[in-house]
Amino acid sequence: MRPHSPTAKPITAKATPRRRPPRGDKLAPYLFVAPFLILFLVFGAYPLLKSVVLAFYITSGPRDQVFVGLENFRFLFSDPDFWKAVRNTAVYTFWSLALQVPLGLGLAILLNSRWVKGREFFRLAFFSPNLVGQVFVGVLFSVLFVPQYGLVNRFLHATLGLPLDTRWLAEPQLVMPALVMTSLWMYVGMHMVYFLAGLQAVERELYEAAMIDGANSWAQFWHVTLPGIRHVLIFVVLISTIGSFQLFELPWVMLGRSPGPDGAGLTIVMYLYINGYVAGDLGYASAVGWTLALGLLVISLMQLRLSGAWKG
Amino acid sequence: MAQFPYGASAAVMAGLAVASGAYLAMRRTQQQAADLRLWTFAKPHADAYRKMLPDFLRKHPNKRVDIQVVAGEAVTSRLQAAFWSNLDVPDLVEVEISWAGSFFRGRLESIGFRDLTERIHQSGLWQRVVQARFAPYSTRGRIFGIPHDVHPVMLAYRRDLVERLRIDVDRLRTWDEFAEVGRRVTVPGKRFMMELPPSGISSLEVMLFQRGGGYFDANGRCIMDNEIAVETLKYYVPLVAGKYRIGTDLGGGQIFTRALEDGYYLFMVAPDWRTKVIEQDVPKVGGRMALMPLPAFYPGGRRTSTWGGTMIGITKRCADPDLAWELIMHLYFNKEALAEQFRNTNILPPARDMWDHPAYDEPRPFWSNQPLGRLYARLAPDTPPQYTSPYIGLAKAKLTEALIACVQYYDRYGARGFDGFVQQQLKRSADEVRRQMRRNPYLDETA
Repeated sequence: MRPHSPTAKPITAKATPRRRPPRGDKLAPYLFVAPFLILFLVFGAYPLLKSVVLAFYITSGPRDQVFVGLENFRFLFSDPDFWKAVRNTAVYTFWSLALQVPLGLGLAILLNSRWVKGREFFRLAFFSPNLVGQVFVGVLFSVLFVPQYGLVNRFLHATLGLPLDTRWLAEPQLVMPALVMTSLWMYVGMHMVYFLAGLQAVERELYEAAMIDGANSWAQFWHVTLPGIRHVLIFVVLISTIGSFQLFELPWVMLGRSPGPDGAGLTIVMYLYINGYVAGDLGYASAVGWTLALGLLVISLMQLRLSGAWKG
Repeated sequence: MAQFPYGASAAVMAGLAVASGAYLAMRRTQQQAADLRLWTFAKPHADAYRKMLPDFLRKHPNKRVDIQVVAGEAVTSRLQAAFWSNLDVPDLVEVEISWAGSFFRGRLESIGFRDLTERIHQSGLWQRVVQARFAPYSTRGRIFGIPHDVHPVMLAYRRDLVERLRIDVDRLRTWDEFAEVGRRVTVPGKRFMMELPPSGISSLEVMLFQRGGGYFDANGRCIMDNEIAVETLKYYVPLVAGKYRIGTDLGGGQIFTRALEDGYYLFMVAPDWRTKVIEQDVPKVGGRMALMPLPAFYPGGRRTSTWGGTMIGITKRCADPDLAWELIMHLYFNKEALAEQFRNTNILPPARDMWDHPAYDEPRPFWSNQPLGRLYARLAPDTPPQYTSPYIGLAKAKLTEALIACVQYYDRYGARGFDGFVQQQLKRSADEVRRQMRRNPYLDETA
């Protein structure tokens, strides 16, 4: 505990008499909070509560609603399309994490070292895909993946001799690799920025001490860097998981506003959108939405528990 | 401002909030001022209607009509939201054929469009219009939309290349004859007889409709696993899969342009609207393109099909449905204006009595001086119906799944066991659609 400064005044038990604030002053904080509170209640809390109720109805607009109890959830768990969406989303999430996180970390370490010239430029270059939205990236990559004339096929043909007419977005087994590659380009820079911030907070003295103890680069990374950025790593994995499970715009745009061939690009949120806004059953879509929310909560809690985040 | 107890910043923010709120509350919007508001998703439609509007307004000098372009899919989602909230609903809306069914999901009385069945019969439109075109805009025996078009289908082809390869198009009367020639001239990776997607259903649908099949029957029952569907899929898959395939596709837009310029495809399915797309997107092949009727599935069979479409409907919120109806008659059944519109869009209007205008006989230099309008008009009465359902989107997705599974099977195993596999895949797809339909308590009125 720090000692008190000699000049600090001792705290006396003598309290000044309490004065009632004027009536206007009492009301003022509530008035200032009111706009947010009203908007939140109308556009946040009410729709949330309404969607809980709707999840137990089959609907066709607000006037046609039939109470069906748990039927929406029963149908959801027996619908092969839902499980296809879950599988696709899980595969996408796995590959996104498996590629984006290590690559983001690798780039951050590279661009954090002093011997790399033009670090600021590269940081901006890697981060810049984040400045454009998923829709833009979707349009861009749908052109790059075109058979016969697309840049990806041209490059693979020139370097590996692969056929020019590879249909990345029309063959079910190629859709997911195309989506993962696209999202890698888009998000690796963002993860790099988070890791950079984490790396810069690791004290240099720790590395010096490790070197004195004879630790090589790998040992330094494993025993100094990783523990030093543990909280950033947990955060990145968590937001990547949540973001991956909410994937929608990218495949929707790349696959021409459809789930793609054989539903290979169908994600959970796309499934929700199709049922809510294309088929018009907001009740069923609400059931999907709450299932996704609960699923994400469970996954996030599991991740936090496994990573030991609660132990501080 | 110095008197404001919470400082200047708070005073400015409060002032701005009050001022902007007051402005928004008092603003008289354009849409409130118009007597009729029409939404369309197609800019060429809007441009054509704006040209036709002055004549209509001369008859109704005190009225105001506002035509708004609401892009693509947004027209559907915005309209759905407008119907649900009963706010900002336009008076008239054009809806694309594949989306129309999604508005017919609930009880008949809850559908956001007015039932036009009586008006259509009383006005004689039922006799004037190709009747098959009312099918996509009907549900449970009631009609909710007027068709904007017929969209008969022909085959467009690179005449110069076809002549160089000594293909006599007059002898391509059946799909069998077409496929036989196709196998002779196709060089995979370099040149294909026809643009036929192996993982998309646009051309498969065309063939399905041509044979009299479809997704749903007139009563809204799912028929996508009936004998016609099985036979069509069995016929289609070997055209796009296996060693002797004659068709593929690369994609739309600039890729299609490039492929057509390069002669990657010789033939392609061409409804009337697509001929304009080809004219605009691939001007380099002008004068070297031509059209021919679809080959039939059997000698003397139907030589056309249909692809795409648009309806116009009057919403229940429309305060003056008689005026809205009059506007539809003016925009959709005005002979002179439609002839001009045809010159700009190549889209054949749905009423037969419009087709005797000389515009439809004009030779088109882009199409090797063929009279494009007359070619389509000759085939139009034979256009097959395509019945819809709120589940049309799901049915299309399931047919795509079946197609892809069959293509993969055929690529791997060829014809061995293929017939049974096709049957099984279609049955599975149709059962999925039926399972979803059974959940809808409002469709009990069907059948």
